Amino acid sequence: MTDNDAGDTYEAGEVTLQKVRDYVWEIPREGDMRVPARVLASEELLDQIADDKTLEQLQNSTHLPGVRKYNVCMPDGHQGYGFPVGGVAGIDAEEGCISPGAVGYDINCGVRMMKTDLTYEDLKGREEELLDALFANIPSGLGGGGVVEGDIDTVEAILDRGMEWALEEGWAVEEDLAHCEDEGVRHDSDPSKVSQKAKDRGKNQIGSLGSGNHFLEVQRVTDTYLDDVADAYGLEEGQIVVLIHCGSRGLGHQVCTDYLRDIEKAHAGLLDQLPDKELAAAPAGSQLAEDYYDAMCASINFAWVNRQLIMHRTRQVFEKVFGNDWESMGMDLLYDVAHNIAKKETHTVEGGEERELYVHRKGATRAFPAGHEEVPGAYLNVGQPIIIPGSMGAGSYVLRGGEDSMDLTFGSTAHGAGRTMSRTQAKKDYWGGDVQDELEQEHIYVKAQSGATVAEEAPGVYKDVDEVVRVSDALGIGDKVARTFPVCNIKG
Amino acid sequence: MSYELRDHTADVAVEATGPTLESVFAAAGDGLAAAMCEEIPEAGGERFEFEVRAEGREALLFDYLDDLIYERDVRSVLPVDNEVEIREPERGDEDGESGEWALEASARGLPLADISAREIKAVTYSEMALEETESGWRAYVVFDV
Repeated sequence: MTDNDAGDTYEAGEVTLQKVRDYVWEIPREGDMRVPARVLASEELLDQIADDKTLEQLQNSTHLPGVRKYNVCMPDGHQGYGFPVGGVAGIDAEEGCISPGAVGYDINCGVRMMKTDLTYEDLKGREEELLDALFANIPSGLGGGGVVEGDIDTVEAILDRGMEWALEEGWAVEEDLAHCEDEGVRHDSDPSKVSQKAKDRGKNQIGSLGSGNHFLEVQRVTDTYLDDVADAYGLEEGQIVVLIHCGSRGLGHQVCTDYLRDIEKAHAGLLDQLPDKELAAAPAGSQLAEDYYDAMCASINFAWVNRQLIMHRTRQVFEKVFGNDWESMGMDLLYDVAHNIAKKETHTVEGGEERELYVHRKGATRAFPAGHEEVPGAYLNVGQPIIIPGSMGAGSYVLRGGEDSMDLTFGSTAHGAGRTMSRTQAKKDYWGGDVQDELEQEHIYVKAQSGATVAEEAPGVYKDVDEVVRVSDALGIGDKVARTFPVCNIKG
Repeated sequence: MSYELRDHTADVAVEATGPTLESVFAAAGDGLAAAMCEEIPEAGGERFEFEVRAEGREALLFDYLDDLIYERDVRSVLPVDNEVEIREPERGDEDGESGEWALEASARGLPLADISAREIKAVTYSEMALEETESGWRAYVVFDV
């Protein structure tokens, strides 16, 4: 339970948060915390964030050696395992550490949005035909295979070259790479640092959605806010877009698991100082820190290819359904962003010093503003696109990297709506068939491999995405550009 | 031996109990299966076996559950009706944690094509408990969904 003081502090059980300014709350350093912890939220969102173990996990994350400035929880934060979901930590790449658990099992879980020239009017009356065609052609759920049936050589080529592999094999066009974070390749990748077990899991899942909160959604743009940015992104009201949310599949999950165990065995001394075993970290400069980074980068490549193959297949489905080729339907990639990742980036830390950091973003999206050298050329003048998926009954948003993100959040913002209800409770409160019927009343068509997934992902289990985005916009870390609303949704 | 699925905001937790260490491992494995599939058919699928080695009791549980997830993906089956035999480290190790623990597991592999199941991504150490109680053993494991 929480008591909500209207004043300058917020009491959350044993934790007191001090208000720094609107939407910025700080837990001061105490005990073994190496830096303060910050929560970026309205009081409404803070009530939800304070209701589970998010704050405790956020405090725990500040025990990691080498953390700089403060660890931050995004407005959509919630309890995870070890490190909270919605957590961002900038950890010194020379004096600090890297923590697989602070990236998460689903390395480069992320979102991409593909634009089209189609309008909602073009789609009306054909929603179910499109839904069925997408569901039949895009692998989802458990054991559903992948778009590509690959062998170990295929997996290794993907790990090594990411989207460049997709381009060589005819699964991508050059423009797709130009509109992806890091142009779709982490060159620090080393496939030899990825275990055989991980590769075995990956080889029959190349190009697959998986299940849980992952999905593919056809959406219509309902609102645009910053007209010049919306223009630069090529978004306008009434337009149909496609959002794809998934990650590195079993391969990435296994990489995280493997390194968590190796680090636990090799760096037990460091682990003993940490309040949660899931935070296990390899000291910067150690062999395992290097190996994990290279394996993580390889998994990042795998995830980009995974989303690329799904997008490619989606283009083919649209070609069949609408009887036109994808190029003439303007099915171009807007952007692809990762939200479970650790990256070497240079940031200004305490005392104005520039340091190279491992920026851990777990359930947080990079949000670099206009002019930042790592923003792709196409968006350099307006800031990088950020894609924030909402629940299947609510809108999603496109934001752009905000001016204040570098100062407040190591260049990051939220990644979604954030859950408020457990999956077990959701299955008691909702029935998949009813959820589908209710959504259909609102002209949202949903198809899933498992009815339980629909219940677990019911719109009511999520925070209010409008409020999450309002806070991001008000803080100037990610500015609202456009809002979309679901039309067809497929999931595992 | 039995298990219960417990609330967690984003993920799912399994609490397992059993009279012996082996039974609580198997119950945790059955809980993992239940977290992926509501209606598990009583027949179907062939049994398969695998071995796990680890440096401690809790690590053994972690690796066992990780291997069940791995076997699921490479065999395209849901491992159910789990059975476990554990070999503790040789006597003489002071705390039982310094020697190697070994486990022989078997499961009935239900083809994923025949059931409606959802994915659990991974086992986590977060909030993990494996402890002796008055009536046997208790395990608590959070899985990433």
